[in-house]
Amino acid sequence: MPTDVFKAIADPTRRRILDLLAHSERAAGELVKPFHMSQPAVSQHLKVLRKAGLVTERRVGRERRYRLNARPLKKVAGWVSHYEQFWGDRLEALKKYLDEEEP
Amino acid sequence: VTKKTIQYDFSLKQSPERVWKALTTPEQIARWLMPNDFVPKLGHKFTFKREPMPQLKFDGISHCEVIELEPPAKLAYTFVGGPLNTVIRFRLEPEGQGTHLYFEHSGFDADDPIQMFSFQAMGQGWSQLGKNLESLVAADSANPR
Repeated sequence: MPTDVFKAIADPTRRRILDLLAHSERAAGELVKPFHMSQPAVSQHLKVLRKAGLVTERRVGRERRYRLNARPLKKVAGWVSHYEQFWGDRLEALKKYLDEEEP
Repeated sequence: VTKKTIQYDFSLKQSPERVWKALTTPEQIARWLMPNDFVPKLGHKFTFKREPMPQLKFDGISHCEVIELEPPAKLAYTFVGGPLNTVIRFRLEPEGQGTHLYFEHSGFDADDPIQMFSFQAMGQGWSQLGKNLESLVAADSANPR
């Protein structure tokens, strides 16, 4: 659900995790280091991201590895561009209307 | 609760009286903004209609009430619909022969992710989040599995 995606990316730590995963797949341990957070705290964030469908998990031996699935983000990005500049456009239309119409 | 505001201000060649008409006549408002049943009367309740956006839990109808009306200088109405509970304000100042128009859309709840999305999306250009999303999407497309 898009709501889960919105919630997932509303948190700055989770956005930074996504940024890291955008570059390459990472092991759980590699994701703990940059955040000065406990393993369980990072796991909790990863769980939220997985539920939102933004991150996939796979096991390689004893290791859990995570990678980005940006498909749900594309939907969100679409909404951003849809809404983007709404007021900018409307106010531009006001200017144009005033310039073109008789007083 | 943190509240955010979208602000624009710009110059218009037309007089405040002319701009005021564009802001307060239903037919004229519809020409540049949205279909509406606005009446320039304090306390008047009206709606704006646009296409529904189920993803934002928005049926496309914004419920409004005129809360400030001082022709041809000040106009404000509430703007409530979907996830938004906000206020839109126009202030007109004479500027030479023309008008300086100040626009403000305030009351976006910064603690609500969907509202923040609307805020960032309706505001000026791409937010940092938008930029991040763009780069994330680009990175993912370049790296298909």
